[in-house]
Amino acid sequence: MRILVVEDDTDLNRQLVTALEEAGYVVDSATDGEDGHFLGDTEPYDAVVLDLGLPTLDGLSVLENWRRDGRTMPVLILTARDRWSDKVAGIDAGADDYVAKPFHMEEVLARVRALVRRAAGHASNELTCGPVRLDLRAGRVTVDGTPIKLTSHEYRLLSYLLHHQGKVISRTELTEHLYDQDFDRDSNTVEVFVGRLRKKIGSDLIETIRGLGYRLGAAGDE
Amino acid sequence: MTSDAANGTAEQPARRPQRSLAARLVFVAAVWSAVALALAGVFLVGLYERASERAFDAQLEIHIKAVIAEMLETTDAATARVVSKLTAPTYRGDPRFSLPLSGWYWTVRRAGSDAILYASESLVGDPLNAPPIGDEDSSAGFIAGPTGDEVRVLQQKITVGETAYVIAVAAATAGFWADISEFGRMVALTLCIVGLGLILAIFLQVKVGLKPLARLRASLSAVRQGEAERIDETLPQEIAPLAVELNALIVSNKEIVERARTHVGNLAHGLKTPLSVISNEARAANGPLAEKVSEQATIMSTQIQHHLERARMAAQRRVIGVSCETEPVLARLIRAMEKIYRDKSLSIAFDQKGAIRFRGESQDLEEMSGNLIDNACKWAAAKVSVKVAPFSDPASNRDMFAIVVEDDGPGLTPGERAEAVKRGRRLDETVPGTGLGLSIVADLAALYGGTFELDGSALGGLKARLTLPSLGTE
Repeated sequence: MRILVVEDDTDLNRQLVTALEEAGYVVDSATDGEDGHFLGDTEPYDAVVLDLGLPTLDGLSVLENWRRDGRTMPVLILTARDRWSDKVAGIDAGADDYVAKPFHMEEVLARVRALVRRAAGHASNELTCGPVRLDLRAGRVTVDGTPIKLTSHEYRLLSYLLHHQGKVISRTELTEHLYDQDFDRDSNTVEVFVGRLRKKIGSDLIETIRGLGYRLGAAGDE
Repeated sequence: MTSDAANGTAEQPARRPQRSLAARLVFVAAVWSAVALALAGVFLVGLYERASERAFDAQLEIHIKAVIAEMLETTDAATARVVSKLTAPTYRGDPRFSLPLSGWYWTVRRAGSDAILYASESLVGDPLNAPPIGDEDSSAGFIAGPTGDEVRVLQQKITVGETAYVIAVAAATAGFWADISEFGRMVALTLCIVGLGLILAIFLQVKVGLKPLARLRASLSAVRQGEAERIDETLPQEIAPLAVELNALIVSNKEIVERARTHVGNLAHGLKTPLSVISNEARAANGPLAEKVSEQATIMSTQIQHHLERARMAAQRRVIGVSCETEPVLARLIRAMEKIYRDKSLSIAFDQKGAIRFRGESQDLEEMSGNLIDNACKWAAAKVSVKVAPFSDPASNRDMFAIVVEDDGPGLTPGERAEAVKRGRRLDETVPGTGLGLSIVADLAALYGGTFELDGSALGGLKARLTLPSLGTE
């Protein structure tokens, strides 16, 4: 899962990036409106954490531009201006949720988790596929009730496949959503991680669709 | 306390209503017209009196001349030669000279003597006490006649041979004065009618002349009530600058409020972002210092929130003449709530009776109803109801409307409800971001002269009723 953080305060930006990375997300960050807008416009993100008070281009305009250009990723706005008129203006501009400053990091993580889950069409914080169960809140994976240990890359891969289970995911899409923008897109590390994951959760769960990509679970199966 | 009370009265002296401008103009014009018309009346009656006197005297002069003509035999009838000799006149040119004590008399006496040589029959032997003529050739005056009534007497001196005679003709003045007073009455009546007409004309003139002022007042009142944004400047050139100045004042008022609001917003942003950093840094670390920092950051956050809200409300009080439709504001809020709470699959029912305009800032309406609806959505199990209806407050005779927000959540105990609506308080003083935000609703409602109360809902949860002033239903 790849998240974009757009926050001009470098300390808060760092805190958000660290917390999101620790929660298992791949995070890109920007500290002004124009950079943030460019990243959101060109990279596929699973969610965006967007501050409204930004230099060069304010958050509300960034959001409006994305929506006008057909970018539909879920957006969580951070705002210090917490009057209802400001919140409603944000929601009207296309935001999916808001968090008022000052906030606790746990709150932002919970909101981001909910946005990503909701965008993929899941109602619960627990994603399951056959014997595999992923608790999004705790970041814990069990197979037939037994906890298994995954590296951060394996966790991200499984989480993305579980969020989009039943769908064929291309290697490019996986690379785009599992690594940040600086990653070498031509390397075949995705195949390596898929191989490792198969060993840990069972080889028959992740199907290779030749020439197209991978699929977790049968089509339409939750 | 005593000094406060004293200050209160000193700052607000009893307002004495000033006399109306129209009444002032009409009063001055009426006094001036009355004086001018009275002077004109006196002058007219005087003129008439003098003219009447001249006409009366001319009539008497004819009779004097007729008496003189009879006294002087100027033609000898036998020889037809002109002679000059005195004969006794028996002049009866007017029947009233024959009628006893008719008021019309003539006499002939020697100059310098009171003894009457000849007199009209009407005197019936009584004297006519005409004043001595002295060296004058003629005189005129008023004297008491033989019956005691006033008569006008004209006298003329003639000399026949060596002897000077004085011929006096007198006539009663009763009819003369009756004429003059009748004329005076007519003049007074006419001038009174003219005066009343003038006052009416002045009144109409003042009314028409001051109409633009009434328009200006109505325009200003419309702005104050939020029905218009600025004063109509199409006014006569004398008061148009006043409207322009007032509009400038309104704009400047709005700018001041806008600036204050921006400052508050900037302050909020400037303080809350570093506070987020501090509290998250402290929560990530361990140890007593981190705990202390985290605890203090929470207190700072609550304090900042509290004082920013107060600052915002203080800025709010200065706004002149704003109003907004309630329906779009609430519909927009409900749309936002449906998005924010979509995980709960809430059903938010919205019902508004007629078009209602809130007499105040849309941001404040949004803040108050936003807090109420957000609170209801937060606690509701499945249902939230938002109802808006106008009503007239019989106590203040003002148009109001009520927003009633209900939910089917757990609700509050009566004690908690009473605590939550206390102004300037927070039920959630130690937990930022999770509060009910109801004290701000109570504060804002009070600022607008509205009310805010909590009750149990028929849906099972909390029922919040907020009343605010409206511009009346349209």
